[in-house]
Amino acid sequence: MLKSTIVDTRVRLVPSEKVLTFLDAQKEHFKLVPENVARLMKLKGYKLPVSTKIIKDRDVPSQRPKIDQDQLKKLIADIPDLPEKTADAMKPVSSQETEEDTEQDEPRTEIKDVLYLSDLHWLTDVLHDLRREEHSEVFLHELIETCEMVLPENEIKQRDPELEARCQRLREEQQNREYHKMTKNVDAGLKNFPEDTISYQIKSINKQIIAVAQFIFSVAAGFTFGFFGVNLMVGPLPFGFRILLGVIVALIIALAEMYFLAKKLHEYDEVLDAPKRKPQATTPVKRRQIVKSGGSGDQKLKPHAD
Amino acid sequence: MALNKSEKEAAGQLMDALYLDMFHLIEEHTQSRVNLERANASGAILLARTRFQHGGSNSVSTAQIPTENSAEFNALCRVVDSGDGRGISIERQPVDKSNGYVEPLHWFSVLPPMSLRNAVSKFKDCVELVAESTNLQRQLCDVLDWITKLRQTPLIK
Repeated sequence: MLKSTIVDTRVRLVPSEKVLTFLDAQKEHFKLVPENVARLMKLKGYKLPVSTKIIKDRDVPSQRPKIDQDQLKKLIADIPDLPEKTADAMKPVSSQETEEDTEQDEPRTEIKDVLYLSDLHWLTDVLHDLRREEHSEVFLHELIETCEMVLPENEIKQRDPELEARCQRLREEQQNREYHKMTKNVDAGLKNFPEDTISYQIKSINKQIIAVAQFIFSVAAGFTFGFFGVNLMVGPLPFGFRILLGVIVALIIALAEMYFLAKKLHEYDEVLDAPKRKPQATTPVKRRQIVKSGGSGDQKLKPHAD
Repeated sequence: MALNKSEKEAAGQLMDALYLDMFHLIEEHTQSRVNLERANASGAILLARTRFQHGGSNSVSTAQIPTENSAEFNALCRVVDSGDGRGISIERQPVDKSNGYVEPLHWFSVLPPMSLRNAVSKFKDCVELVAESTNLQRQLCDVLDWITKLRQTPLIK
């Protein structure tokens, strides 16, 4: 079970019966209704008057409201601090949240009929207008008291079975490897590792010798070009100058070749060092070959036979 | 009575504003957490790629991080609490070797690979995001606190 990233960061409110009946009762006073609210009311069986215009959700202005700090300070000045409440401020504040917490254990089906923040903004404005025109005395906080709040949640993803199978396979290989390492000294059949045979060592030495020989050849060829080639092209040159040319060309080639040679030899070193440094890293492949060759016949043995 | 009514109206509006603010803050906080998760994950992936590509003797490892016995150096990045209610912020120092501000990237190599540089910038973003997230969380706690207190006033029943 893995938790994936939250996709939808919006806070959602499940409208309670109280909200819906209120909306229904006041519907003739609405001039503009957001799309979502209109859809919601239709879904619950309430009808909007024909004159109301439906607006897109994003047309509803939704900025963070300005909080009148002076007013707030004045109002809460005589309320004493409640230490045990500030400690876990989340709990007593919104009854919706506590309900939310208790219900989290149950698998929640996707809730579609919800109010979003833009709808709440619209509702605030509407309620403000209604209060001014004295149609009602309701505040937003009274309305949404009975609503359930749905907080953004992580989606729970099942582990991919393919990955699980792969992990299982790798784990088995690892265990196999460890087992063979342990029984290496006991079982004579497993004793011959490719690194132990002379042919393997000669092969790896051969590779290095070839690399060095290549280097020498190309430097020699460079010198020959400088010594003879330029002389043939341009005409008779003094002997000292020819040697100088040859050495310069050979030097340039040697520099370039040195880089590749160093790289290659370094790689060999890594390969040779690797089994000592981290035994599991390189030996497994070869060991596995042996394990398989034991069962599947002679073809697999050929590479190390010669 | 009329005074009481206007007061009640003001308190109710305040309460509404607080609730809306709470919703906004929850959304923003979630968003910043999601961003943080993304930045951190991509940084970790880039770091893993660096180690994968430059494996072997010069790999990026904890062995290159200075130990207790190494020379002392100053932190390049500090968390500063501004104290005036605007929350915390991140303060960065320019790299200046003579004053003890060393570039941590140079512990690993003199010419760091591109993926390591990118990882560093991602992790730097992470720190900023953590600060942002903390500020939002503080604001959210404040708003929740205010709502609790406001609920106890006689004006809101």
